[in-house]
Amino acid sequence: MKSHERGIMSSYDLQKPATRWGYYAMNVLVVAMMCCMIYPILISMFNGLKLNTEVNSFPPTFFPREWHFENYIKAWNYIDLPFYFRNTIILFVGNMLVTVVVLGLASYALSKMKVPFKKGIYYYFLMTLFIPATTYMIPNFINLKDLGLMGSFAAIWLPAGANAFFLLLLKTFIDGIHVEIFESARIDGASELRSFFQIAFPLSIPIFATLAIFLFSTAWNDWFWPSFILSQENKPLSVAIKDFVLNARRLDMNIKFAILTIVMLPPIVIFLFFQKFILRGLYMGGVKG
Amino acid sequence: MEQIKAVQSTLAKPQKQRSGWSKGYLWGFLFVLPALATFTLFLWLPIFKGVLNSFYYVDFVKGDSFVGFDNYKAIFSDPDVLTSVKNTLYYMGLALAIGFWVPILFALCISEMRRFQGFARVAAYLPYVVPFVVLYGVWRWLYDPVGPINALLKAIGIGQINFMVDRSWSMISIVIMETWQSFGSAMLIYLAAILSVPRDWYEAAEIDGAGIWQRIRHITLPAIRNQIVLLLMLQLISTSQGFQTHYAMLDGGPNNATLTYALLIVKYAFVRQDYGVASALGVLMFLALSILAVIQYRVNNKGGVQG
Repeated sequence: MKSHERGIMSSYDLQKPATRWGYYAMNVLVVAMMCCMIYPILISMFNGLKLNTEVNSFPPTFFPREWHFENYIKAWNYIDLPFYFRNTIILFVGNMLVTVVVLGLASYALSKMKVPFKKGIYYYFLMTLFIPATTYMIPNFINLKDLGLMGSFAAIWLPAGANAFFLLLLKTFIDGIHVEIFESARIDGASELRSFFQIAFPLSIPIFATLAIFLFSTAWNDWFWPSFILSQENKPLSVAIKDFVLNARRLDMNIKFAILTIVMLPPIVIFLFFQKFILRGLYMGGVKG
Repeated sequence: MEQIKAVQSTLAKPQKQRSGWSKGYLWGFLFVLPALATFTLFLWLPIFKGVLNSFYYVDFVKGDSFVGFDNYKAIFSDPDVLTSVKNTLYYMGLALAIGFWVPILFALCISEMRRFQGFARVAAYLPYVVPFVVLYGVWRWLYDPVGPINALLKAIGIGQINFMVDRSWSMISIVIMETWQSFGSAMLIYLAAILSVPRDWYEAAEIDGAGIWQRIRHITLPAIRNQIVLLLMLQLISTSQGFQTHYAMLDGGPNNATLTYALLIVKYAFVRQDYGVASALGVLMFLALSILAVIQYRVNNKGGVQG
């Protein structure tokens, strides 16, 4: 057995029976927690495979009595999932491009270039962190209407360039790149744009990947704001589910669960595959002491 | 203009500095220009419009008309506002009572596990990647009178609970659901902090005769104090603005039991079409929340925590 580095408890503690039982109880608690976490996810998958009468029966069963895989085909055809999926991807790609170009250039300039009123501009950006988004949610809506962006993808894309939190993360990361690289690039005659796209951007891939995770989960998750901003034909998947599946009256429960499972699976699969990478990225972007 | 400025600075400055300065300034300015534009157009403009709109009756067709403090007067005479403030405070309190200690407890437990630590970590985080709309659909069924939770309650001899319809349960149900979804991310932050405590400290404490509880109390908890304070502030800031779950699951019902302040703003704007009052509500909320934000900023700086 691999020797375990001691934690709060040592192996000496565990020799005492009371502590050992405490340790077992703690493990049972964690296992119970894991079951609570996984049960709702698994049951929605299985509910999607049951007959509708079985989903509505009481008490609920866990495994389906009969496996009806055709439910998933019905679910796939219930609404035009690929179309809404396409919209979600368009939102994500646009947000990512705006983030890289607008926030990337700005944080590179603030970190490594001479900018007039640098401190002032930096605070102009960061001050927005202290104003909670909910307080100007309605004026924001009116503002987008006044600018004539209402309904179009641009109403989500362009404001993605106004994210002080991402700017802070990017600038902090670029601050950590040695300035000598850029100086030597300048001496070799590289333009500023070239220094950014060919040196700063490739070196900052880890932080951009973290931002990509954030942006992807936002594009996949966010339903409230897009449902008011985007027009019918630009709605992403989340809004379509909210409008056509959650609030549908004449939709069988088993088909509903099958649709929910289809929508839930991609993020879960992506997470499970890249979990080491994603969790590391979240530490980088998250609050860490 | 830029060129003229560049020429002027060329004339004014000694030869050696000239090209570097003017060129550097110009490009630096061009690089921040798009960000300046987006922050101005999509953040500062709406923020100032919000303050302005709170003194106007907003009409998209006929144009806005100035109404002075009428919007604010309307707020103070609306009984729903008081209800929503109470509900928001109740929600914040419940989220602390039900949700705040959970990630700390499980971070402690998981850090002590000798096997399957990574497994537990992934399982705890998994609900966090479930999309909100799926969450609402699944939990509506879980909370159903004939759903699995009521089946369990019946099996252990407790009567049926109408989680969604019962006024005294609706807010609690929402908090439990949100805790289920989001405690994993907070737990990872605590876990990282707990695992970075040097093992020698526990060794030394044990030799000095400190029991397990004493070690947790005097070593582990002080070591993660910064994270606890920081996440407390973040939770207060986010729960004070919470409304999406309340809106999607119950639309503020039953009988306004889950009508939070932010949800009231949304309802004023999109149901009653009264954007002026909605903006005024936002301004008042900002004044209340800025106190919280200042505290968070100071905590952030003191703890040396970035992000």
